[in-house]
Amino acid sequence: MFKLLRNQKVRNALLQALYVGALGALVIAGTLIARQNLAAQGITSGFDFLFKSTGWDLGFSLLPASANDPYWWYFIIGILNTLFLGSFGLALATLVGMIVGLAQTSANDLAKLLGRTYVDVFRNIPLILQVFFWYALITHLPPPRSAHEGWGMLLTSRGLYLPAPNVGGLALLAASLAVVAAIVLPIWLGRTSLLSRPLGQRFSVQLAAVAAALVCAVLFLFAGRLPDSPLLDLPSLQGLNLRGGLRIPPEFSALVVAIAIYGGSYIGEIVRGGFKAVGKGQVEAASSLGLTPWQVFTLVRLPLALRAMLPILANQYVWLMKATTMGIAVGFTDFFMITALTINHSGQTLEAIGILMAGFLAINLSLAALFNRINKAIALKGNQLRG
Amino acid sequence: MTVPTTQEIAVRVEGMSKYYGTFHALRDINLTVARGEKIVVCGPSGSGKSTMIRCINRLEEHNAGSIMVLGTELNDDVGNIDEIRREVGMVFQHFNLFPHMTVLENCVLAPMLVRKMPRAEAEATARRYLEKVRIPEQASKYPGQLSGGQQQRVAIARSLCMQPQIMLFDEPTSALDPEMISEVLDVMVTLASEGMTMICVTHEMGFARRVADRVIFMDAGEIVEEAPPEIFFTSAKSERTQLFLSQVLGH
Amino acid sequence: MEMVVVAPPASGKLEDLKRRFFATPRQAVISLLSLSVIVFLVWKLLNWAVFSAVFDASGGPDACHAASGACWSVIAARWRIIFFGLYPYEEQWRSALACVTVVAMTVLSCIPAFWTGRRIALVWGVGAAVFYVLMKGGLLGLGFVGEEMWGGLALTLFIFVTTCLVGFPLAICLALLRRSELPWISRTTGLIIDGVRSLPLISILFTFAIVLPFALPQWLQGDKLYRVILGSALFFSAYQAEIVRGGMQGVPRGQEEAAMALGLSYWHRISRILLPQAMRNALPATINQFVISFKETSLVIIVGFFEILASGNAAYGTGEWRFAYVEVYAFIAMIYFVFVFSLSRYGAFLERRMSVGER
Ligand SMILES: Nc1ncnc2c1ncn2[C@@H]1O[C@H](COP(=O)(O)OP(=O)(O)OP(=O)(O)O)[C@@H](O)[C@H]1O
Ligand SMILES: [Mg+2]
Repeated sequence: MFKLLRNQKVRNALLQALYVGALGALVIAGTLIARQNLAAQGITSGFDFLFKSTGWDLGFSLLPASANDPYWWYFIIGILNTLFLGSFGLALATLVGMIVGLAQTSANDLAKLLGRTYVDVFRNIPLILQVFFWYALITHLPPPRSAHEGWGMLLTSRGLYLPAPNVGGLALLAASLAVVAAIVLPIWLGRTSLLSRPLGQRFSVQLAAVAAALVCAVLFLFAGRLPDSPLLDLPSLQGLNLRGGLRIPPEFSALVVAIAIYGGSYIGEIVRGGFKAVGKGQVEAASSLGLTPWQVFTLVRLPLALRAMLPILANQYVWLMKATTMGIAVGFTDFFMITALTINHSGQTLEAIGILMAGFLAINLSLAALFNRINKAIALKGNQLRG
Repeated sequence: MTVPTTQEIAVRVEGMSKYYGTFHALRDINLTVARGEKIVVCGPSGSGKSTMIRCINRLEEHNAGSIMVLGTELNDDVGNIDEIRREVGMVFQHFNLFPHMTVLENCVLAPMLVRKMPRAEAEATARRYLEKVRIPEQASKYPGQLSGGQQQRVAIARSLCMQPQIMLFDEPTSALDPEMISEVLDVMVTLASEGMTMICVTHEMGFARRVADRVIFMDAGEIVEEAPPEIFFTSAKSERTQLFLSQVLGH
Repeated sequence: MEMVVVAPPASGKLEDLKRRFFATPRQAVISLLSLSVIVFLVWKLLNWAVFSAVFDASGGPDACHAASGACWSVIAARWRIIFFGLYPYEEQWRSALACVTVVAMTVLSCIPAFWTGRRIALVWGVGAAVFYVLMKGGLLGLGFVGEEMWGGLALTLFIFVTTCLVGFPLAICLALLRRSELPWISRTTGLIIDGVRSLPLISILFTFAIVLPFALPQWLQGDKLYRVILGSALFFSAYQAEIVRGGMQGVPRGQEEAAMALGLSYWHRISRILLPQAMRNALPATINQFVISFKETSLVIIVGFFEILASGNAAYGTGEWRFAYVEVYAFIAMIYFVFVFSLSRYGAFLERRMSVGER
């Protein structure tokens, strides 16, 4: 027996069995105890609750929702809200980060100073503090009756009111697809081998495609406009309330602004790192070929820098996506808040947590897969390059 | 050749085979090394020399056959492995000194931890061996501050501090600049003359001629030739050995 | 330097300026734009924070309404709640002293002389013990103050320190398990690490604070504070484990082989050879991780703790100071900034020093 324990193979097998077994036992014991505790409170385990109506209302929702709707519908709304907030936040953060990063890599010392200061200030203040700050700022705006006005918009403590197009839902969808096409088409045209024109000489084709897509978008909007109403629905004060327009609630704007500013500081650093990784030799070689500074930037520095920063950027995006859970701090009904509310109201603790984990796993994995594809597509070919 | 008795056998390898996945790296290796014997192993790159001597102190696990070291069988028994590693020292091509410790700390570490030697005694031993490899004055430096040849001599001293009965050398001089090779070889020659059992993988044929009791030629995972140096270098039996020798000695 | 005094031409400074900022029309535009932004921001900020600000608390909120600048009197009136939360008034010196302990501890662990496993563990172990005794009392004639009374900066620091104290060893364990040669161990650990890393910290804190009590027998539940700290430590360790593992991958394989050949046991190989080198490799990333997790302690507000952000909300949230939220948030931001910025500067300094020191 003792001899057996001294055997390396036996030891290894024993160790592995012990480790995995102990962890498994822990999980199983936890689940069993939890089920017992929950059953004592009259909560039956299982996913049947997903089809019961919730009985509570949502603060923010992209799709119609009422207290009669079942839980599964709320979860879908939650995921959509998270993705919606995330994509807005990420897009704005990327924009801010690009500007800050470019300022930091600029040859101009004053611009550099500005970029550096921005990064140092906003990166070193916790995101949730920034969320609270912006939320407080917006909710301390004047009430609707003395709102700030401008360009058809209203800025009040109840949110930002934007002019909304009076257009049917389907037409709006078609129009937004056309706008997306206006962005994607020229990129695709620039890379495809279907055209006989050589790469780099397709500007006119790309321009035509963009124009066509945009015209389509406008046509869709006109075709789908609601009868007997102006094209734009302007928000206005009626009595003590605001009518019309598109309301962007304070929770959402506070989160988007905070994520854009905080994320921008991180992305700014990533962009700076990306440009720093581009070898001096490449830039010198390009200039010596007679390219103008703008050409050197767009044709050499930017493409190389993008490749260098993409993997880190992907991590940052995942992080920012997870940061949308801070919505619960200001009452934005994102995926996490819906989970928390579900647990509060239905008591289906284990199931709800399971759904939450699965949801975030799915979001993370798809983001990672997306970035892997992009990365593969743009990676420099071959491995014979020297720095 | 006289057949050594069990008492006198340092290493006995019988029918040993080793696979990396499906790649057959060592085939049916048979080798007996008597105490005090000096073996030089040579052969073309990738022939399995390193793999073979790394099997002797279980840096690699063999898949078939048996290995006896100093009368202890090298098998899955952890106690045996520990015992054998205590008695077998090894010197690597790339020195593998611990860069975060001074030369002296490198030398006293194992005796203190493994042999439970008190620090004073361990340091005295270490200084003695550093003297022997002719760098007593470098004791308080860090490995990164020494030349390659000095580092390799420290590595030899570090192994000797464990007072092993067998020393394994895996191409100890091939990472060194030519002018540093001889200082390391000199140390090895001294060691050999003091009766240490040594198995050296090396391409230094001069060293082989001077100290080896037997030279072993390996190719494609097999021992192809095994002979005393005077025979090995003049009348090798196999063609592959002759080809190899003409390449190594040719220029 | 002073020997090569060659009197610069009279216009030297001006020339230099011109070359640096006005070399091309584009540069000139960027310079002017940046300059105006800088001047505008600095002026606005100074005007708000200093020139038109009210510092004196004696005027009360009314004095602030009259002024156009910042109302720092809210800080003067409410700093105790921000720093100490609900900690009993007469005992708040203990809370302050506890905060000083943490700062001292952090400074000590930035000194290279303390960078051995034993010393750093000693500093943090003793520091945390002193902190705990000071805060909780019931010993040495100090009155007892339960955890539910802790708050403000002291609570933030407590959560941070204990998170690191529990999370760091855990991270090393996880990293070792993940690089184990035994496939089941390394795969299971990998699953745990990746699983935790893919979840948002808030959801983990929530799970530990609110869900875990269901899954634990009564006697194991413990205080909510310690469960949350455990969750935060788990999250920290999942990230830190990957950093440590990265550091381990930077240690050449030969190091461990040499240690094996010398007959060192597994634990000696890990503790004497692998970890010291791996931690050195991982140091900059580790400091970065500390910075991040310090900022993330603020998330415990969501599971209902009265840390510095929550106490800030309370400081302006009641009655008369309602309007002074900007000042309170700015003040808390400053506190975070001081901690985080100095730590991250230190990390950058180390990184530069190490990249220079490489040979
Ligand atoms: N860890 C490993 N995994 C897979 N194959 C290996 C491994 N180590 C060695 N090999 C293979 O085993 C064979 C023998 O390798 P070994 O290192 O023993 O050669 P060698 O004779 O020492 O060569 P050299 O003179 O170049 O050091 C080689 O073909 C090598 O590719
Ligand atoms: Mg070899």
